[in-house]
Amino acid sequence: MKTLLLRMEPIVWLLFGAGIMVGTLLLPGYLLTVTLAGPLGLLPDGALAYDRVYGIASNPIGRLVLLALVALPLWKGAHHTRALAVDLLGHGADAPVGSLLYAIAAVGSVLGILAVLAL
Amino acid sequence: MADENGGELRKRTFVITRFDPDKDQVPKTQSYEIACRPDWKVLDALNFIKDEIDPTLSHRWSCRMAVCGSCGMNVDGEPKLTCKTSLAEYGDTVEVAPLANFPVIRDLVIEMDGFMEKFKAVKPWIIVAKEKAAEEGTYKQTPEELAAYKQFSMCINCMLCYAACPVVSQEPEFLGPAAIALGHRYNMDSRDEGAAERNEVFRGPGTVFQCSYANECSEVCPKNVDPAAAINQAKLNAVVDWASGFVVKRGK
Repeated sequence: MKTLLLRMEPIVWLLFGAGIMVGTLLLPGYLLTVTLAGPLGLLPDGALAYDRVYGIASNPIGRLVLLALVALPLWKGAHHTRALAVDLLGHGADAPVGSLLYAIAAVGSVLGILAVLAL
Repeated sequence: MADENGGELRKRTFVITRFDPDKDQVPKTQSYEIACRPDWKVLDALNFIKDEIDPTLSHRWSCRMAVCGSCGMNVDGEPKLTCKTSLAEYGDTVEVAPLANFPVIRDLVIEMDGFMEKFKAVKPWIIVAKEKAAEEGTYKQTPEELAAYKQFSMCINCMLCYAACPVVSQEPEFLGPAAIALGHRYNMDSRDEGAAERNEVFRGPGTVFQCSYANECSEVCPKNVDPAAAINQAKLNAVVDWASGFVVKRGK
């Protein structure tokens, strides 16, 4: 398990790094627009109309952006939480907790891929 | 109170960590009150104490000009090169302890064998498949090629970065800032052909990916090597090298 985690490090680190970019730069903007500005009526009328948003989201580039927003922060969260688990629970927790977290991120990513394909 | 040059002397108390492996189970502290000259570095005070008050005090030093890297210690809890650290930065009480994250041999002297092993692990020499014959001339480098690694070659092996690194304190097998910066220095050298071997080491048990980018190594580095930058460049190179391994078949 420990060896597998070590072998996975390059890809995990790459997804984690991308997750930081997406999770700290893009995701807040997305949440600000959709969950705050929209409900508060700060957006122009019809900006989040279903047809319009569906048009953006179902575009191939839109699908990729959505996938990045869904999947990459999962890897960022998993990697951070793994480090937290080592801090709180000690080194024994690293392999089991790390594997579990990355498995969740992997399942989430696959679901994300299926979801954007099904749009 | 003034010294022979008219400089104002200032009384300071040095609280120094002492450890005698023959007598002590755990380190203890001992205080020395001395009159310090205004231009003294921390190392001058330690040498004064050893020469004039207590010859049993053990500490490492050599060049007194921030080149040899021997006199690293924790001063008021921070890793410092004591020959480069002016006493003027400190108050009436100055705590001096051995560098953190290393086993202590005696007093302020640390055991550096583990550090040397990590150094060797990154193969810090120029690796070429076939040495050029002498008649073929020298290896030439442009100023740009030199600039790519020069900063990372300024390390004096003082180990302050290991004492500052939160990952080194938790993960004993982590290669650590200076060793990774040194390996990266050779990977960036246009004369070198050993990047694949070193990237293998970078992805191995002491992996570069353990670095959590606290940046403490670069904060304490007395030579502005910026090991944190080296580590993060090394991470990316190790990933690219790993990914390209799927595309390009490697010859051994």
